[in-house]
Amino acid sequence: MSGWVWAGVAALGGAGACSRFLLDSLIAGRFGRDFPLGTLTVNASGALLLGLLTGLALEGNLLVLAGTATLGSYTTFSTWMLETHRLAEDAEVPSAFINIVLSLAIGIGAAALGRTIGAHT
Amino acid sequence: MNEDCLKLTTYFGERDRTPEGLLADELLDIYGGHRLQASVLLRGVEGFGRLHHMHTDRLLTLSEDLPVVSIAVDTRERIESMLDVVLQIKRRGLITIERSRLLTGEIGPVQLPEQLGEATKLTVYVGREDRAFRTPPFVAVCDLLHRRGIAGATALLGVDGTMGGRRARARFFAGNAGVPMMIIAVGSGERIARVLPELGALLPKPLLTLERVRVCKRDGELLATPHELPGTDEHGLAIWQKLMVYTSHRATHNGRPLHMEIIRRLRESDAAGATCLRGIWGFHGDHPPHGDKFFQVRRHVPAVTIAVDTPERTARSFEIIDELTHEHGLVTSEMVPAMSAMSEAEQRGGLRLAHHDF
Repeated sequence: MSGWVWAGVAALGGAGACSRFLLDSLIAGRFGRDFPLGTLTVNASGALLLGLLTGLALEGNLLVLAGTATLGSYTTFSTWMLETHRLAEDAEVPSAFINIVLSLAIGIGAAALGRTIGAHT
Repeated sequence: MNEDCLKLTTYFGERDRTPEGLLADELLDIYGGHRLQASVLLRGVEGFGRLHHMHTDRLLTLSEDLPVVSIAVDTRERIESMLDVVLQIKRRGLITIERSRLLTGEIGPVQLPEQLGEATKLTVYVGREDRAFRTPPFVAVCDLLHRRGIAGATALLGVDGTMGGRRARARFFAGNAGVPMMIIAVGSGERIARVLPELGALLPKPLLTLERVRVCKRDGELLATPHELPGTDEHGLAIWQKLMVYTSHRATHNGRPLHMEIIRRLRESDAAGATCLRGIWGFHGDHPPHGDKFFQVRRHVPAVTIAVDTPERTARSFEIIDELTHEHGLVTSEMVPAMSAMSEAEQRGGLRLAHHDF
């Protein structure tokens, strides 16, 4: 990888993280703190976009920049896990369980949908 | 016992800044510079202010600006002489002043004034660790209070503050032994008075305050409603009221921790604000003092929810809290003789103490 690609990874990675923060705050601020909808939306939309990119058969530096850098920092596994654990800590085991199952179902569905759309365009 | 002391409490956001730096640092620098008898900075876990913006440690992005509370106690002259400096800071948040009684040094048999007879809030300031104890001081204090039949106590961890005039601030890589903590206990005046000499003997440098409270509810039983206070005293100075709800993380309502439901319902009402603090150790009633264990999912620590408002809105908030605490929790009310709400643009309410006998 050239120096320009490394610089691109840094810049787009930062942009991905910032978009997550903005979208998550917007959703959490509007729909409250009872269920981590912000992180779910971020992860589901990230899965859809990554599915789309691979469906479009993006490869090489473009996939690194759009997939690994941008969507990699946009989506978050750690926040999903942390917020699930916080729900369990607050004795909200049903919500914690729903947060895991719903994220998995919506996430895999979104990635599959993205791939299908990508492959047909 | 010094009868004429004041407690200055400020409620604001962890990330609130002044041109000089973080507001929390600036306030604690002032308290340290004035060598206050007791001051402590507590980090909240959830809350909202006048704009009803939610802050909570449950969601990562909403936890980047959690509520904090700073408390400063000293004699009336020393607090009043510091007040101008504190008020000069352009900032957001809430400031209250309450009357308090401060006990330091050797504590002999104590005859409590009649005012404290109904119920008393005892606050004990201790360092996180002390070599004189085999267990941390807050554990020893909670054990003693439990043995003497006090209704409940909650230990809150401070991250900065002063004790006996000395500043101690928690650092990431440090033992933090001298960093102040506060233990809040509520009980009948008579029982609290009896335990005071023992607390004095237990602690190397006792630092305690006593305040008048009314116990409104205990374990679901309605004992009294908050005092019906007028909006202003006879000189036209505004009177405010404070509700405090002591619950356990284990107590739930509709499957959610009770303290979170209280914050949620108050936020949906027209309440001016509320802040929730999580304790690290404590007890209620007959249960022996406890905290969290290392291997566990569900938390067991106590939580304290605080709401300061006009007497009129306090009565409405109490109705909400009364409904939610139909099984668990200790609810107390207090009069707050001075409060000021500040934003960058304006300041509402003054800090001259109102007088009202009840």
